[in-house]
Amino acid sequence: MSVATSQRAAVKKGFWLDSDKLLAAACIAIPLIGLTLFFLYPMGVVFLRSLTVPDGSYGLGNYAEVLSSKGFWRATQHSMTMGVATTVVSVFLGFIIAHGLHRCAFRGKWLIRGVIVLPLLAPSLVQALGLIFLLGRNGLVSRAIGMELDIYGFWGLLIANTLYALPQAVMIIGASLVLLDARTYEAAEVMGAKPMRQFRDLTLPAIFFALLNSAFVVFIITITDFGNAAVIGGDYSVLATEIYTQVIGLRNFNMGAVVGIMLLLPTVVSYYIERQSMKRQQGRHATNVQKFVPSFYPNRDIPMAAACFAVVAMILSVIGVVIYASFVKLWPYNHGLTFKHFDITLAGGYASLWITIAISLGAAAGGTVLIFIMALGLRKLSGGLAQAVQVLAAMPAAVPGIVLGLAYILTFNSTATPLYLLYGTATLIAVINFYHYHTQAFLTVMTGFRQFPTALEEAASTLGAGYGRTAVTVVAPFVAPMLIAVFFFLFMRSMVTLSAVVFLTTAKLDVAAVTIMRLDDAGLTSQAAAFSTCVMAVVCLALGVMKLGLKLMSRSPKVVVGG
Amino acid sequence: MYLTVSNVTKRFGTFTALDDVSISIEQGEFVCLLGPSGCGKTTLLRLIAGLTDIDSGTVSLENEVLTDLPARQRGFGIVFQSYSLFPSMTVAENIGYGLKIRNAPPTQISARVAELLEIVKLPHLADKFPGQLSGGQQQRIALARAIAVDPRVLLLDEPLSALDAKVRGSLRDEIKQLQRTLKIPTLMVTHDQEEALALADKIICMNHGVVVQAGTPEDLYHRPATRFVADFMGVSNLVSTDVIRREMPTLLEGRPGAPDDQFDACIRPEKIGLMADADGAATVRSVGFLGNLTRYKLDSVLGDLVVESHGALGVKEGQKVSLQIAPSDCIWVANDGPEVSE
Repeated sequence: MSVATSQRAAVKKGFWLDSDKLLAAACIAIPLIGLTLFFLYPMGVVFLRSLTVPDGSYGLGNYAEVLSSKGFWRATQHSMTMGVATTVVSVFLGFIIAHGLHRCAFRGKWLIRGVIVLPLLAPSLVQALGLIFLLGRNGLVSRAIGMELDIYGFWGLLIANTLYALPQAVMIIGASLVLLDARTYEAAEVMGAKPMRQFRDLTLPAIFFALLNSAFVVFIITITDFGNAAVIGGDYSVLATEIYTQVIGLRNFNMGAVVGIMLLLPTVVSYYIERQSMKRQQGRHATNVQKFVPSFYPNRDIPMAAACFAVVAMILSVIGVVIYASFVKLWPYNHGLTFKHFDITLAGGYASLWITIAISLGAAAGGTVLIFIMALGLRKLSGGLAQAVQVLAAMPAAVPGIVLGLAYILTFNSTATPLYLLYGTATLIAVINFYHYHTQAFLTVMTGFRQFPTALEEAASTLGAGYGRTAVTVVAPFVAPMLIAVFFFLFMRSMVTLSAVVFLTTAKLDVAAVTIMRLDDAGLTSQAAAFSTCVMAVVCLALGVMKLGLKLMSRSPKVVVGG
Repeated sequence: MYLTVSNVTKRFGTFTALDDVSISIEQGEFVCLLGPSGCGKTTLLRLIAGLTDIDSGTVSLENEVLTDLPARQRGFGIVFQSYSLFPSMTVAENIGYGLKIRNAPPTQISARVAELLEIVKLPHLADKFPGQLSGGQQQRIALARAIAVDPRVLLLDEPLSALDAKVRGSLRDEIKQLQRTLKIPTLMVTHDQEEALALADKIICMNHGVVVQAGTPEDLYHRPATRFVADFMGVSNLVSTDVIRREMPTLLEGRPGAPDDQFDACIRPEKIGLMADADGAATVRSVGFLGNLTRYKLDSVLGDLVVESHGALGVKEGQKVSLQIAPSDCIWVANDGPEVSE
């Protein structure tokens, strides 16, 4: 071999190495820039604005003012009371349903599984709307018993929040019950432990962290939720509605920022504890578990089945009544059926539904790509930097949607930076939706990546595939089920979210959940129901497409679904 | 008879897992249930433990009928293949759990736990959680937990199968020693004939939900009753009656008087002698050196044969040889179908 050829070979080799490195660097850099610009920076801005006193200088004046106001303390107290009450009820019911599903024997579990997730497919204020149709002044129940119930306020909000948080509690507790090994129960049985004793000594310790976890998750969901509180809270002001009042009602952005920071504190603490307990739970379990198959035991299973179906009936009636009401001529006087409420009379009509679908598709597609390349980049990264990126990627979950929304309006409605160009665009709404749900999407994809065998990647590069080619032809097909799940997760959340986007809509640009709130505010309750029905139909359709897609993939011999 | 299982039948849907099975265990005996996967041995163990309901038949211990007694009231000990330690309890809590259920005083429990940890040679692990132990350590603790309550019967469900070869060997010896010392009647399920030969006082060989043969390890090896047992317990040359009658009629000496297709000849590979002979009835196809013994594969008038010898017999591949088989080394086994083959 001549000197010249070997040199050329060396140059070529060096070039390829560099392009791989460059690609890996870009994979980390692009999502990092995104996180910095659209998460860290706005959060910094909201923090600074909370410190900006009326004369433009920095100080703690706003905090002093907020802390001395009666309204703030009342809202804080309400938020905490509501958070604790919802947590207790949701974890209790969630445990009953999860235990019924996984450790009791009765028929019709498919119905429970199907119905329990319904609240996740609807804007959170649908629970509130449904409760008003059932228990409000003109509600079905109120008229049936001939008594006016006062559903607005604590009790209404408690029920609505519980229905909204329940699916999460059931999923978290259920996941830990599935991990329990049937053989440990058989061992206990042979050693002489009675069923109650087995429950106390084996089940409870094993699911303790899941119970704790679900408690914190429910608490966060409840104190940060805006939709239910806005529709059914009545005079029962909570921190989330307090921010809205300060910003939209009183145009007092700095005070809103202060309340936002105050709401951030309990959420961050809860989120931190939840992450820690999650880690401890994961370390404890063996991977090879023998599935527990319950046998029928009437004293246990009949009451459990009754309790589960009672909750299911409640969820079904609350959501079902919204759909029913959207077809009723004149609620509650004329129950003839009609489509007239689907003719939305509010300015804009269905425009907001179409734009929301477009925004959701954008958030889902862009978000999935960004998360994928971030996970790719993380594979090439190790040590402190990788850890820092992971922590940053997991941070958005700790920020309540309404606080993130406030941060965005403070950041992007300011002409100080070129970012102002984004203000009032659908793009910005897609962006906030993605960063609002960044953590869950990131964690899902990372789970897929952890199952990806390094050997496959090494085999590909030994065969001469570059980093980019390996990513597209080897890695992407392997994690495809996770990517599909993340795409539809982002799409469905973007369709129904209200809290993060409520500040970013303008007269010209509205989204579906905000339209529902406006229709309800305007007294057009039946039209609000009709609009909700349309949103739920779109989301259910998306869910159906996702299930079908995943099913087809798992059947295809080309794809090995990890797990 | 200490533990007796009589005429037990168990079906799962249309599949018959156990068909009119009867077995017994004597006081202090170590019994192995041996058979290929799906033969019903684990189902039988679970029925005895009380973890699965019986369709018909009885299980009794001395004079007490256990059939309808829940597992927790039988006073047995059980060790599963793996992963049956309680993950949220320490090693000491796991071992003491049975005593705790029996409301033993804490001082007695801790004394017993310490004693058992000494017996299984893991006293330093008392405060560890199962997730922090190796597979072999976990199984030792599971064994300690099972014997902590002085069980009336010890049940072992393939306790060694999930372990690697070296650990398996040492734990096997320990189980044997422990059982001999404590004299707990023990029933172990295994699919490994070598394990059964090494451990058992009595082997119960099962296939397709029925007991094929029960007896001492020597019985099963030297006097297999059927083709299945002959083939499952080590290597054997199985030859049909008509071939023997045609080629080596002297071997018919010990044959029971029954139609040709009901019994076959079983000749163990170490019972066949070879001698170089240009007019021999067999040709050496291959010679395999296995260290302590040499294995020859032959094409012969009896069909394919396997012959093993300690030390070389001085025959080479391709050579003609004559066969020497003593009539007493030809065992006649019942023909229960063309079952397993190596």
